[in-house]
Amino acid sequence: MVELLNLVYHCLVLALVVLGLAVVFGMLGVMNMAHGEFLMLGAFSAVTAQSAGLSPLWGVAIAIAVCGVVGWVVERLMIRHLYHRPFDTLLATWGLSILMREVIELFYGRGYQNVDMPFTGSVALLGVAYPSYRVLLMAVLVVLFAALALWYVRSPSGARIRAMVGNPTLAQAVGISTTRLATGAFVFGVCTAGVAGALLAPLVRVEPAMGLDYLLNSFFVLVVGGLGSLAGLAAGTGMIGGTQVVISNLFDQTSGYLAVLAVSLLFLWLKPNGLIARR
Amino acid sequence: MNRRRIIQGGVAAMLGMPLLSRVSWAASSPIRVGMLIPESGPAGLFGPSSRNCTELGVQDINARGGVLGRPIEVLYADGGLPPAQAAQAALRLWRGRKVEVLIGMHDSAVREAVAAMLDGKLPYIYTPTTEGGGCAPATYVIGETPQQQLLPVMPWLAQNRNVKKWYLIGNDYVWPRDSNVVAKEAIAASGGEVVGEEYLPFTVDNFDASLGRIRDSGAEGVFITLVGGASVGFNRAFASFGLPAKALRLCTLLEENTLLGIGAQNTEGLYSSTGYFATLPSGAARQFADRYRSTFDNAKAPLNGLAESCYEGLLLLEAMAAKAGSLEPKATEAVAEGLAYEGPRGRIELLGRYAAKNIYLAESKGTEFEIVQTFENVPPGQSCTN
Repeated sequence: MVELLNLVYHCLVLALVVLGLAVVFGMLGVMNMAHGEFLMLGAFSAVTAQSAGLSPLWGVAIAIAVCGVVGWVVERLMIRHLYHRPFDTLLATWGLSILMREVIELFYGRGYQNVDMPFTGSVALLGVAYPSYRVLLMAVLVVLFAALALWYVRSPSGARIRAMVGNPTLAQAVGISTTRLATGAFVFGVCTAGVAGALLAPLVRVEPAMGLDYLLNSFFVLVVGGLGSLAGLAAGTGMIGGTQVVISNLFDQTSGYLAVLAVSLLFLWLKPNGLIARR
Repeated sequence: MNRRRIIQGGVAAMLGMPLLSRVSWAASSPIRVGMLIPESGPAGLFGPSSRNCTELGVQDINARGGVLGRPIEVLYADGGLPPAQAAQAALRLWRGRKVEVLIGMHDSAVREAVAAMLDGKLPYIYTPTTEGGGCAPATYVIGETPQQQLLPVMPWLAQNRNVKKWYLIGNDYVWPRDSNVVAKEAIAASGGEVVGEEYLPFTVDNFDASLGRIRDSGAEGVFITLVGGASVGFNRAFASFGLPAKALRLCTLLEENTLLGIGAQNTEGLYSSTGYFATLPSGAARQFADRYRSTFDNAKAPLNGLAESCYEGLLLLEAMAAKAGSLEPKATEAVAEGLAYEGPRGRIELLGRYAAKNIYLAESKGTEFEIVQTFENVPPGQSCTN
């Protein structure tokens, strides 16, 4: 039972981590190498909240504010000029990621930071004791993803985004301001990365270089799932997260990691558009 | 005096001048010490604190009159690079900047590359915790070996904390694997058994599968040789699942930085066995720690055993030069056996180019180490005879 809960937890968290990149890379075509660094900013928001004597959960609000401002500035000054040049976005955001790490190092030093668990202890779930913060996180994520899916499918903004992703020229022709929409999507994407960092901070190691861990897995999920849709995100998450958890439980962690690499390579080779291809 | 004489004399004087000036220059100029510490890579975290401890060592030694009557001057190179590049950096210090001795605080792959490059032509002091193994000429290994950290400690835990069933978990490289060979020996000697053994790649950041296996194994103790970030992640998850109530944890590379990252909520029943803690109670140790905290920002670069080992390296250099009267590799080798000095860690004595020393077992209280047992003058368990 614990294994099942671990699987669900792992997939939900993975989906949250990848969500931002799914928007920025999947929909806007920006290969955001600084994705992990926005997550790191979120984690340090929780550190900042805690050191100010607040609950680390205030880090979520700080993360949205910080990532929102940084994301907006970066989009205006850098990303905007690079749409439709994926390789250049890769180089530019790679530079950005180094800058972000160095700035955080300057203020917080290179060492590990601790963020306390807002809720300790465990609750009984499906007949086993499971850490309460994880249970809370799972509940929040289920609600969040349900709301997001509904908004994306039903709301006018969701329709405009889908129009922009499907055919930017036609979307512009029918009066959709794709420039503003793209700014909004980019800021939304990096904000979700920040929120992920703030929510995960009590569970993981927090340090300036932590972002690198999350980047690679995020790209794997998108490669396997396919770009440009929430369904692709869900499929990729299930595939990568499921493979890792199941193989790690059956054999060992090394096999789990190898299996993830093997699956990603197979998809790049045999099904480069992923499980759910946009076109 | 004919013209030829004058010219001869002039030429001789001109030839002699640089020689003379070099002699006088050497008498007053500092001895250059090459310091190979991590400035980048995963161990880059220890760069700032290692530099701080080195600065304190230079101050102290120069205040006592330097080495061989000359002040010392430290030149740094990055030991966090891959082995071949780190050896190149050390070579530049040696051939380019003319360092006369090299002190290293970096991983053992770098040590092997540097030792092979030096080939015994420069004294080389290797300071951090290590699995040992290397026996290059004029190379002195003063860090803690697994034999020192485990052979006295595991029987003590069996007797005083009643830990008999051990689960071994580490990152997948030479130090954890060699440590576990010694751990098995120590566990067998204390009448215990190994109920699981597992090695994780450095990329793993989800430990749920391993935690499940530990819970099912019925382990009473977990011996952890995960390093740095992996240790932080593992220990946080271990505590969140309530496992501290079931099993005690023992680490041999758990210092102050990592403990801060693990966090006070997650350190119950977490033990560390090593040669130095910032909270060591002896006078020399306390004085050193106080000076560190009053000189540097301890919040940004917390004092820790790996960093302090750089200070120990300088103390050994001072003692060695005093006894040998030179820094020629052969001269240092001739005086090395039995050479001893006193420092913050207590008395250190070279035996077979490794070092006998005190080993401290500490239990975490929040994010501080509290010493629960001192094992005095523990032999290194490894030696070089060539």
